This record gives sequence, C-alpha cells and structure tokens, in this order.
Amino acid sequence: MSVIAPKFRLGYFIKALLDNIFWAVVLLTLAGIPAIMILLFYIDLPIIDGQILTPFLAFTWMTHPEMSVPLVKAFMQTDFFRIAAFPGFGFGALLAAGVIFVERKMLAKLQLRVGPFYCGKVEGILQLMSDGIKLLTKEIIIPAKADKPIFWVAPLLFVGTAAAFVSLIPVAPKTVVADIDVGLLAVFAIIGFFPIITVLSSWSANSKYPFIGGIRALHQMISFEIPLILSLLGVVILTGTLNLSEIVESQATYWWIAFLPIGAIVFFIAMLAELERIPFDLPEAESEIVAGWLTEFSGMMYGLVQLGSYLKLYAFAGLFVVLFLGGWQGPMVWPPFPEEIVTEGITMGPVTAQIPGLPLFSQEVLNGTLWFILKTAAVIFFILLPRGVFPRIRIDLLLHVGWYRLIGLSFVNIFIALGLLYAGVLGPEGIL
Amino acid sequence: MTTQLPPGLQLEKVDERIMTLNVGPQHPGSGHMRLIVQVDGDYIVACDPDPGYVHRGEEKMCEYRNYITNIPHLERPVIHDSCNILYPYCLAVEEILGLEVPERAKYVRVIASELNRCVYTMYWLAIYGIFLGHSTMFMWPMGDRELLIDLLEKITGARVTHAYFVPGGVRNDLPANFEDVCLRQVNYFEKRIKEYADIFYDNPILISRTENTGILSRQDAIRLGTTGSVLRASGVDFDIRKKEPYDVYENLDFQTNVLQSGDSYARSKIPWLDMFESCRIIRDALRKMPKSGSVRVKLKPNPKGGDVEVYRRVESGRGALGMHVISKSKPEPYRVKISVGSFRNLICIPYLLRGEKLGNMPAVYWSLNYWPVEADR
Amino acid sequence: MGTASGIIKALNSGIKHLAVKRFTLRYPEQKLKFVGDGYQYDPTTGVGIAGYKGRHILFHDKCTGCQLCAIACEGVAEAIAMVKVNENWKHNKKAIMPQIDYGKCVFCGLCVDACPFYALYMTNDYELSSFTKEGLIYTPSQLQVKPQVQQDAEIQIDDRGASHG
Repeated sequence: MSVIAPKFRLGYFIKALLDNIFWAVVLLTLAGIPAIMILLFYIDLPIIDGQILTPFLAFTWMTHPEMSVPLVKAFMQTDFFRIAAFPGFGFGALLAAGVIFVERKMLAKLQLRVGPFYCGKVEGILQLMSDGIKLLTKEIIIPAKADKPIFWVAPLLFVGTAAAFVSLIPVAPKTVVADIDVGLLAVFAIIGFFPIITVLSSWSANSKYPFIGGIRALHQMISFEIPLILSLLGVVILTGTLNLSEIVESQATYWWIAFLPIGAIVFFIAMLAELERIPFDLPEAESEIVAGWLTEFSGMMYGLVQLGSYLKLYAFAGLFVVLFLGGWQGPMVWPPFPEEIVTEGITMGPVTAQIPGLPLFSQEVLNGTLWFILKTAAVIFFILLPRGVFPRIRIDLLLHVGWYRLIGLSFVNIFIALGLLYAGVLGPEGIL
Repeated sequence: MTTQLPPGLQLEKVDERIMTLNVGPQHPGSGHMRLIVQVDGDYIVACDPDPGYVHRGEEKMCEYRNYITNIPHLERPVIHDSCNILYPYCLAVEEILGLEVPERAKYVRVIASELNRCVYTMYWLAIYGIFLGHSTMFMWPMGDRELLIDLLEKITGARVTHAYFVPGGVRNDLPANFEDVCLRQVNYFEKRIKEYADIFYDNPILISRTENTGILSRQDAIRLGTTGSVLRASGVDFDIRKKEPYDVYENLDFQTNVLQSGDSYARSKIPWLDMFESCRIIRDALRKMPKSGSVRVKLKPNPKGGDVEVYRRVESGRGALGMHVISKSKPEPYRVKISVGSFRNLICIPYLLRGEKLGNMPAVYWSLNYWPVEADR
Repeated sequence: MGTASGIIKALNSGIKHLAVKRFTLRYPEQKLKFVGDGYQYDPTTGVGIAGYKGRHILFHDKCTGCQLCAIACEGVAEAIAMVKVNENWKHNKKAIMPQIDYGKCVFCGLCVDACPFYALYMTNDYELSSFTKEGLIYTPSQLQVKPQVQQDAEIQIDDRGASHG
C-alpha cells in the first residue's frame, strides 16, 4: 500500500529547521565572516564628516538617527545603489513584478475569471513570489546535444541586456543611472542585442522548435527595429538632442505626442513586436512551435528570461513616456517636506531624535517619480490590453506590416517633424 | 526494393532543406494525434496525419455487451457530445427492438441533444481560440459552456458523461421548473455568444489570418466525403436534421447555415452560427413539447432483436454520425459500426495543408471540427 | 478603415468586459446546487427521477441481496461486488449486499435502474477522494450513511452578467 501524502511529524520538521540553522551558523562563521573581512580590506571606505567610516563606526552610527541619515544619503549616492536599486535594476524589477500581477488580474477580469486568488490572502498578491520559488527549486535540464556554454549564458545575457536598457531611462530630474549624451543611440544599440541573444540561445539548444522560434524572432525583431528607430527620429529632429533627460526637459509645456501622433503609434506597434507580446508573439507561438525559442529552458533559466522580458517591457514603456508623454513632467502634487522634523526632530515617547540630513529625496524627484510611474502604468495598460483582445498574427502578415506600412508611416512622421521644424513652428528656434 | 518503414521511423530526408516536425502527440498544438509535417522554410511541403493513439476498440466492445450496457462506454469517444453519439445508437436499437418512443421523450431528446451540441461547439471554439493565440476566446467559451452544462446536469444528473439516452426514450423526465431556468440561461447564452463577434469573428487580425487559408472547394468537399460544418462551409447545403429528419426535427423551426468560401474562417464560423440555430430549436421545442406524458418505454431485461440490420445517422456537433447495428437474435449486437464525422473530415488535412504556411497549421487543422478521440473510436 | 474600426471595436469590447461580473465558481467555498436528492428510479413506471448522479445510498431494510445491481454493472464498470454483511434481515437470507468500488464506478446509474426494490439510489455527494485505493471501496455500512452536503450556489443572471451567487 502506497501513501501519497507522507505523514507530517513535528519532530522531523523541527529537526530539519535546527539542522538548517546549525549549518547556516557554521558556514557563516567559517566562510562568511572571513569573506566580509577580506572584502572590507579592499574597499575604499568613505569619509563622512571628516572621519573615515569603519564598520565599527558605521554600526555605532546606526543607533544615532542624526548620524545614520548622512550615512544612508552617502550610500544612496554610490553607483552601486543607483545601478542595483533606485533608478536601475531594483526599481525596474519591482515595477515589472507589479506589471505581472496587474497583467494576471486584469486579464482574468477581462476573461470573467478570478486569476491568482489564494496566495497572499489578498487577491493572490504573493503569487509571483511563490512562482519564483517554484522556478528556483525546479531542476534545470540541459538538452544533451546543446552547446552548453552559450545555452547557460543566454538567459543571463538577456537579463543583463534588459537591465542595461533600464539603466538608460531617466525616472526623475537627475535620477538616471547613465546620463549620457547619446542616450537614444545607446538605446538602439542595446535593442540590437536582443535578436542576437535570442538566435544564439535558440541555435545552441540544438532542437527544432527553438530553432524555428529563434529564426522567427530574428526576422521579427530586425524588421521591426527599422520602423522603431525611424519613428523616434521625429523627436530627435524636433529636440535636436539625443540625451533622454534633455528630451524630457524639452517637453515642459507640451508633449511630443500632440505633434507626432503617427510616430507614437508606429513606435507603440513596433514596441509590441519587439516585446514579443500578443498579437506579435510568433516566436513563442505555442500551438505551432511549442514555446518557440523558450522551449528548452527549464527552471530558473526560464524565470530569468521572463524577468528579462518584463524588465524590457518596463523599459520600453518608460522610453515611450520619456519620448512622447513628457517623462517626469507634471504638476507638483507631492506635499512639501515638513521642516519641523529637521529643525525639531521626531519625538517618540521620552526620546527626541534630531535628524539633520533629511529629506532623503528632494520634492522634485519624488514628484517626478510619481508622474513617471503613473504615465508608465497607463502605457503598460495599453501594452497589456491586446493580449486579451487579439489573436496571434501570421509571419507573412507581420513582415508585411513591418516593412510596408510601418516604415512608410514613420517616413511620413519624419516629414511632419521636418515640416514643423522648417516652418519654424517647433524646434530650437520655434515660435511655440 | 527498400522496405517501407512506418511513418514515424522513416529516416530524415536527404534533402536538408526539408525539416520534419512531429506535431503531437506531445505538443500543445495537437490533440491525441500526430501530424507529421514537413516544412521547407515556413512552407508546409507535406502533412501526414497519424491518428490512432486513443483507439479503444469501441466497436468490438459493443459485441460483448447487451443493448443497455453498451450505453456508458459508447459515449466515451466524445464525452462533450455524449447525447449525440448515443442518439444514432438509440434510434437503431429502437428499430431493431421495435420500440415506439413516446412523444415527450422525442422532444426531451432534441433539447438534450441541442444543448449538448452547443456544449461541444463551445469546447471546440475555446480550443480554436487558444490555437490562434487568443486567450480570451479560450476562457469565455469555457465559462459560458457552464450555463449549458448546468442545464444538462439538471436534466441528466451528470456534467459530461450523461448516459441519458436509452433505447425507448430517455432515462428520466425533466425536473420541475426546468422550462423557466432553461429559457433564462439559453437566452443569456445567446446574448453571450453574440458578443463573440466583436472580439473574435469580426476581429480584423483573425480575419486576415484565417481568410483564404486552407480553401476546400465545393467539388473537393463532396469528393473527399467531408461532412458537417466543413461541408456546409464549402457551400453544400447538407444537414441531416433537415435532409433526413429524425425524431421531431421536422416539426421544429430552424434553418441551416451555409457559407460559400470554404476557407478556415468559414469553417470556424459555421459552428458559431449553428449555435444560434440550436438556441432557436431549444426554445421552439420547449414551446411545442407535450406538457406531460411518459418519457420511456418499459423494456424487458436483456431484450433481443430479430435478424435485422439497421443504419441510422444524426447530425452531431462534427457532422453526420452514423451507427450500423446488426442484430442476430441475441441480447448482444452482432456488429456495431460507428461512422464518425471527425474521421471523415480528417482526410482533408493533407490536401488543405500542402503549400500553406506553418502558422496556418493550427488554424486549418482545428477548423476541420475534428475530435481525435472520436476519430479513433 | 475597416481594419482600424474593427480593432477599435475589439478593444472596446475588451475594456467593456472589465466591468462584467466574474463567472467563476469558487469551489471549496461555494458548491453548486443540484436538483433534488440525487438520481432515483421508479421500477413500477420504469422512469427515473431527475437528480445528480453522485455516490450511492443503500437502504439496508429494502435490499434483498438479489445481485441485480452487480449484474447490471458487469458490462459497464464491474465496480459492484456482493459482500457478506453481519445483519439479519428476513428478506435477505443470504445477507449479501453491494459494495461499490468508486475507483471503477463511472456513475452511469444503471445499477439504480436495475434495482426493483427501491433499495439503491444515488445522492448529491461527489467528494469521494481518498489517499488510498482501499479508501475508495465503500462497504454496505458506509453506503448506508446519508451524506451531509451544503450546496447552495446557483447561477444568477442580471444586467452585469451571470455569476455563481
């Protein structure tokens, strides 16, 4: 007689927990603490208020609010924080997780069903976390005939490229990881990496369906890159700059979507195709080619590709906002920071803490971030909606749309921009 | 002379341009069957359907069971359309045993059969939607199907495998207050399926994808022996409910839908249009049904027929579904031959898919209204 | 222009359905209501009474051990076996009653049609899962129990669409 569910015994459970704690403690003392010490030996310690910051001092200051705030502020100025957390990867990944949740619930609502419901008590808000844990714990299966190094590296490259794309998007004034003068060119360069990664990963899997999917992805991405790039040239012509922050600043009074609606529509459609979202999800068409170029990925490799594609979605939506919807520009709605917290400190019971370094973010940054997130959410809604409404398009129709319609329309858009420029309506010396 | 290997074991073609894809049986785009597709780039050079993965020997099983115990296993090939696959069997056995079905039972049968046809068509439509990558068209029919499953469950007591039709009538009468509930839910169902037009049937992307793909001309449709919606989409006005009416279909008010183009779009639209007719039939039958009366002839245990051969066919969700029952004065039938619409439509696949694009494969394949389990029997 | 208007119509239809009620039946919290107390059969008229075909219920005071249900099941699922019971009934001298293996039963209800003594009916109980195969075999004493069911969800239709209660 076989029992499907083994009997649960509290003793075993506690023993397993204690085992885990024991090994964690042992590993931390034997390997972790020496590693931290070695690392600290090589790191240049910052100087704050004329004092070299040692770990001892850092831990001491953590107990004093008036000392810890400058410490946190100093940390927030570091490149590491900017890349990994706020305007970079962490912020993008958080928004991407939100996108996945909203996509599931919205699609479920459109399809008259419930969607994730039980995980996390409130409308399945922790479903993504449980999915992530599931993917992490699953076995990673590599096809026997695969080209293993490339196959292993492809998901990492995909996420890395998506994160590089995220780092170019300005979120608020002076809040961008890489504020470079050729921002838009860098965007084009990074977008150009995606088909290469896709075709490499699909080819290295050495399997039929990924191969067909990779070829389709290559066709689709390359043929839609041209209208994508051309549709943005209108904005570049009118602003005369490639720097994304400057493009945002040029839209203080009016948004470019008001003058270049054709460019915006072309960019939106090309964006859907670049993102491989329905109706352009041919590289992953499940009823024809199983899962396309993702067929052989398993476990967290698949999870990484998904993370990368949602990061890419956020980055494209952010790019749309930056170029056409005025980026962080918007009326000031964020309440000003109460001054008395800085001057008088926070009183909690008998203790009064003086905190001189506040606020951590200026009012402009918070307001800009808020408007940026709101606009991005609106764009993402329109990216998600077609998934519930349209069927998949066919490859010949797709290429027809890309090469004939969209490229033509984007040239029309460029002529409109040039007309506006030479008529003296807009541009560096325009009347508006 | 080289030995001919079975299709799956053939070595790869020497010509390296041709790639062989085994679509199925473990593939999200096939049913319980396999399509051996040879592609040159994106074009399908040849497509060879390979059914038989779910063959269960229904015909042979019939020879070892008596006329009543054949019922539960005969509905297994199409559990979504179980009333319609039992219909010809019951008609044939009634002919053999010389039973006269009560008038009310005939109407109840028509109602159950039409409800079941809609349930099947919704299931088929849901899969057609997801084959085209339209996830809403998967969820909506699956949800709205519940309205009719609920009605069928009220009548028959089971959600899919009803075992409701028996030779000599139906197993039980309709429950009390059934007509109100039925009218309410069928009217709402009709309203719902009207809403599919905007999002699916009038969707320009769907039309551009399925129009002019896999065209089956009127002559070919007749020559290849197709049936049901495939035949009607090719411009042949053939519906057994009209041409050879059984039970009370001649009293009921409905029409057959015929489209002329014969492409995947027309083939996918005909079942949807038929569902409106089914709703009409149900409402009409509820109105014309005798309000009381018996619904089942009392049978002797282990009834025996004479030495007769009977062939009866009905219009199922997939076309003509015929049963040829031979009786040799025994409680068991001597032979039962089941002729199903799915298998007759399957033969079109090599003709329709040659020269199409790979992206059209699911659209054309599933538009043939093919149910793999039924075809294998 | 037809393409553009078609696309706008499809998007509009999609957005409109964001406001329609969800149709999902949330199963463990809600259970669908069935007609009557389960499928029953009247041997005098030869017609059944509509009801859900769930687990059987066996009335020990009516069962005569005639084995007709087991014979009816022979060609169908062979789920019914006649077993000895430790009871004394005047009408059941052999003291055998049906024992049903729900790992095999297909819930067709032909055994109910076969019983001429009103002894075997079906009930609304469909939650029969078990961790073991042995747990699926219901002895006559288990079949005797009338199931406790709380099923009250019904399909409700109003202006905002259909929903389950």
